[in-house]
Amino acid sequence: MPDDPAVANHDRVSRRRGPGAMRLLTWLFFACALVFAAIAGLLGDVFFFRLATESLIYGGLALAVDILLGRTGLLPLGHALFFGFGAYVAALVLKYWAASFWLAIGVVLASSLVAGCIGGVIAIRARGVYFALISFGLAEVVSKIVFNTRSLGASDGIIGIPVLRVNFALFSIDTARAPELFLLVLAFLGVLFAAVAWLMNTPLGRLLSAIKANEHRVPFLGFDPWRLKLAAFTVSAVVAALSGALYPVLRGFVSPELLFFQVSVNAVINVIVGGTGTLIGPLYGSAILTALRSVIGSFTAHHLLVIGLVFMASVVFFPRGLIGYAAPALQRRLDDWANRRSRR
Amino acid sequence: MSDAILSVRGLSVRFGTLAAVNDISFEAERGGITSIIGPNGAGKSSLFNLVSGALRPDAGRVIFDGRDVTGRRPDRLLAAGMARSFQITNLFFELSVRENLRLAAQFVEPGSRLGALLRPVGASRAARARVDELTARFALRERLDELAGYLSHGEQRRLEIAVALAARPRLLLLDEPTQGMSHTDTQDTAALIKSLAGELSILLIEHDVDLVMNLSDHVIVMHQGAKLAEGSPQAVRGDPAVQAAYFGEGAHAAAH
Repeated sequence: MPDDPAVANHDRVSRRRGPGAMRLLTWLFFACALVFAAIAGLLGDVFFFRLATESLIYGGLALAVDILLGRTGLLPLGHALFFGFGAYVAALVLKYWAASFWLAIGVVLASSLVAGCIGGVIAIRARGVYFALISFGLAEVVSKIVFNTRSLGASDGIIGIPVLRVNFALFSIDTARAPELFLLVLAFLGVLFAAVAWLMNTPLGRLLSAIKANEHRVPFLGFDPWRLKLAAFTVSAVVAALSGALYPVLRGFVSPELLFFQVSVNAVINVIVGGTGTLIGPLYGSAILTALRSVIGSFTAHHLLVIGLVFMASVVFFPRGLIGYAAPALQRRLDDWANRRSRR
Repeated sequence: MSDAILSVRGLSVRFGTLAAVNDISFEAERGGITSIIGPNGAGKSSLFNLVSGALRPDAGRVIFDGRDVTGRRPDRLLAAGMARSFQITNLFFELSVRENLRLAAQFVEPGSRLGALLRPVGASRAARARVDELTARFALRERLDELAGYLSHGEQRRLEIAVALAARPRLLLLDEPTQGMSHTDTQDTAALIKSLAGELSILLIEHDVDLVMNLSDHVIVMHQGAKLAEGSPQAVRGDPAVQAAYFGEGAHAAAH
């Protein structure tokens, strides 16, 4: 009885029952990372492990940028500020206080909450391009201060961060071993991602999308956009700082370059190429562009030119980014598949 | 004095040298429909913006349910129980109908505000029930998963009212709810507004004089920023000053 409304209704419901493409693409990312780890581990590689670890760390910064750019509609052009903040705080804790990973993470978490709040109060006073400029300016000011502060190592940064044993209840991880560190960073990023994804699925996260869609209506729903934006900015700053905290663990040093415009812009590019607002897209973007930078960088010193061209092509031809196109396309296939099964 | 949910006293705002709203006072009766009419540029929308917190008045008071709420921000006013719709559709066009309503209904969630904001969306039962109720009432059920930007004009206007209504306000300010609607849609919307009265109080701005005259318990006529007349629909219609200022141009249309 194809004309029976109950059947038609059932059909419509079952169309929505196809597994979520976005969720699949998220699992795919982490599955690919594990497959990579298995292969690289078998080959006894170090270089690609460290490169992949770095791409994950920058992926965390891109995730932080996506909370603001993709979900709240604010373009942060100086988010390296919080990335570098996390890196420096972690470096100082590890070098001068105690070589404890969890202590460093705890201190970065607490201090970035405060720093994010302060930065947010300053930056979100402005909208649109002015927000971007204030964010940019804040990062420039702080990076120049760090660059000229001798006690922070000035232009040399802080070197000699000790190798860590990261203790879990049942086992421990040696950060000098590339595969172990990669898995630690992957797990850390997985937790960070899950927390952000969860938060974006609460009414608070949805209200951020409402701000992006139409900020002027939000007060008339009973919510203060300023407070919501401050919350988004602070969460984003914490995510950026926690990602940055992993940097000295990987590299054994931090330098003022971590706070520079280049880092901020690369994060924005990773987000846009990967898929603005998709959360997992920025991690894909970071992985792809880090690989691209490294591969092209080994052939030519003009790799920035290539990255720039990739970015421009992406903006012009694929403005929704990789996952912005992949997710709906995959969703259609999954729905077709689910429909065909339910009809059978 | 009757039981007023809203009492506006000597409200004024200037834009440069223009007195957009000039010393307006009126009351809106609890559970009734109070309408503000007037020709274009009479200051109706500015008055609405003053009452709903979108604009700060230069002088005067807004008393809502016995409390002075002059100059309060819109989010505070909504918490106090006053909501509004917009003349120019002001929705979240990139979000689905469901999401538009769910966000607006978030306020009906019981418990602490922050706690309700940090549960997964699926756990917001009260909000979801409110969305179901509204989509049934506003004939939007078939369109739940459509993006608000893809709705027809009539549907968007209905959603606009539904969004304003979602938080269960005690006073609803409707800014030209039938703007740009077809005749049939206008009739439907009028019936809907009529059905809302009693549940809550309504303050209405309308261009459609016939609609206002049929719906309203009390009518206020504005002209050049000031109050020209007020009273029952019949009294206002018969007022010679109103005839001259407002019905003058469209007297034939209004006479049918």
